[in-house]
Amino acid sequence: MLKLSGMAVASAALATLAQQPAPADYTIDIAAYALEVAPRRTVKTIAYNRQVPGPLLRLKEGQPVTINVINQTGNSEVVHWHGLFLPSAVDGATEEGTPLIPGGGRARYTFTPRPAGFRWYHTHTFAGKDLHKSQYTGQHGFLLIEPRDNPAQHDQEIFLALHDWDGDLLANSDGSMDPVYAVSTINGRTLGFGEPLRVKSGEQVRFEILNSSPTEVHWLALAGHRFKVIALDGNQVPQPQTVPMLRLAPAERVTALVEMNRPGVWVMGEVRKHIMAAGMGIVVEYAGSSEKPRWDQPNQLLWDYLKLAATDPISQQADAITIPLVFESKFAGHGAMDHWTINGKSYPETNSPILTAGQRYRLSFINRSTNNHPVHLHRHSFELRRMPGHPETHGIVKDTVLVDAGTEVDVEFTANNPGPTLFHCHQQNHMDAGFMMLFQYA
Amino acid sequence: MRDVFPWPLWWIVALLALDAICGALPARAQGNYEIQVYGADTVEPKSTMVELHSNFTPEGQKYEIDGVYPTNHQEHETIEITQGLTSWSEVGFYIFTSEQNGHGVQWVGDHIRPRVRVPDSWHWPVGVSLSTEIGYQRAVYSRDTWTWEIRPIVDKYLGRWYLAVNPALERTWHGPDVAQGVGFSPGAKVGYDFTKQISGGVEYYADYGRLGAFDSLHMQQQQIFFVTDLNVSPKWEINFGVGVGPTAGTDHLIVKGIIGRHFSWKKPSPVQ
Repeated sequence: MLKLSGMAVASAALATLAQQPAPADYTIDIAAYALEVAPRRTVKTIAYNRQVPGPLLRLKEGQPVTINVINQTGNSEVVHWHGLFLPSAVDGATEEGTPLIPGGGRARYTFTPRPAGFRWYHTHTFAGKDLHKSQYTGQHGFLLIEPRDNPAQHDQEIFLALHDWDGDLLANSDGSMDPVYAVSTINGRTLGFGEPLRVKSGEQVRFEILNSSPTEVHWLALAGHRFKVIALDGNQVPQPQTVPMLRLAPAERVTALVEMNRPGVWVMGEVRKHIMAAGMGIVVEYAGSSEKPRWDQPNQLLWDYLKLAATDPISQQADAITIPLVFESKFAGHGAMDHWTINGKSYPETNSPILTAGQRYRLSFINRSTNNHPVHLHRHSFELRRMPGHPETHGIVKDTVLVDAGTEVDVEFTANNPGPTLFHCHQQNHMDAGFMMLFQYA
Repeated sequence: MRDVFPWPLWWIVALLALDAICGALPARAQGNYEIQVYGADTVEPKSTMVELHSNFTPEGQKYEIDGVYPTNHQEHETIEITQGLTSWSEVGFYIFTSEQNGHGVQWVGDHIRPRVRVPDSWHWPVGVSLSTEIGYQRAVYSRDTWTWEIRPIVDKYLGRWYLAVNPALERTWHGPDVAQGVGFSPGAKVGYDFTKQISGGVEYYADYGRLGAFDSLHMQQQQIFFVTDLNVSPKWEINFGVGVGPTAGTDHLIVKGIIGRHFSWKKPSPVQ
């Protein structure tokens, strides 16, 4: 139910609608959906427009858009436009002030999308122990903000979403409970089920890959091929690099080019065997090839953000005010998920630092826990400035970064989008257990 | 918020009270070789759990009955080796020994215990497994030399609480109790996590006698253990407890300890 009406509204606003909404550029239906992930295996979930992932929304940078959302479920919902510089009222986080859409209700999001790049949209509600709600469902979709000028050149563009389903809370070796998943998919299908990705020899394919998993980091390789990473979280990297595999933490995106120069039938899949066995893979088939899909099992995991960083000297920048953020867990029993704190407090008791518009800030993430955390800042992008074991860096702009257990990461951003701004771990179970805080503008 | 449970106080009071009750009762010999309420989880495939169960009976049966050694001041050392087979099955093997003044260190017997559990993929709200144990013990330590047990296991973690029940059924294959049919020997545990590393709780063990014709309460085996579990590492299992038996059919005071070490035979690989 994807509609294109051509209507554009200049201001950013969200209206909750009691009546049939006026035509919009897009309409998103939130409704129950039975997703067939494998032959005779169905996951009962909630999806956008009865498909997983939801429809690809192609928006023009700077061109206002109106999106109607119809919530056909029995629970309140909200849609977050991840990676966009939006006003708090439409960003899609109730903590910032975006209204919930009640079950059976409708809402109308009107905003001007920016910046250009590969973004995504997804639910942003509380799940708690219910591993069939919020990000555990199929409520995620691709959002491509096309630049005003110089659109990307490529022979084919393929969007892929990595997701995990049918979670159970099981004891981990760390002494608490974590979700463990029975099924892992690419674009809602397990390896070998559904249509393969069809490519032609000699073409350059642009892969836009999203990790929409509620909690899991994923490693992806394409047998026989290498990825040239050109953008992270939709933002071009200073030094594109060719790598054998990609690592994507929850909410991260990678844009990579692949030269299709090895005809055959190949598997693109999760590098770790148990995740591929759970289904995370997809067949890539060259035109004219029909042999059995081939997989070359890597024997190590390789990824380093900093290979993509700028190499030129760091230019003089305005002094940034440092805000240290210490991540810690609180044991809640072997039969419970840990509680999470930022600077010793769990949301909503967490502090709300006051930002001054125009000021540059350095967020110093100090992860004192034994878990990795993909932390996300709403409504802004940040620049990676210091990664564990490395001197200062610059040039990589993201909205989500994985802070490994027991390490420290520094990022910088300019406070240039006034309004309440949410910061949180993008693991659903962590944000539900207190790993959130709100920045306020003076 | 105070995160300390005043268990040492009520533990001491309970011990004194129960000891006062059972002090006047005679005790009957019983096989306290492996004193453990089973959890539903199984050992992972390609890994082995080796446990040493050390049980001492400071106050038990003082007289030899029907050729069975008295349990008083017996020290039991049991080695339990459990091998994971699949993600839902394992097999355990026991070597029972006893040490006592006048008898030295003696081999008592061996048991084998296959176990299966409900796989995680079934999404059951509680952990469920089924264990069966077959074994031999020498007649000087148990009148019944060949026995069989089937033990359903149900457990559940609820935040800081842990609950487990083992309603076991026993059958003698060789010995004077062959004609008794199936006996009912339930076990249960309630635990509480004081911290991530330290849990405390109560374990209950009983032998009610034959199904359909339970022994009188006086002659039933009834034991309550006050235990602590130390979760210092996923590789180690440490359990310590003191148990009291208030009925005539039970050893009055037993001290138990379990130390277990988990060995993984999987080749470490980041891509497993």
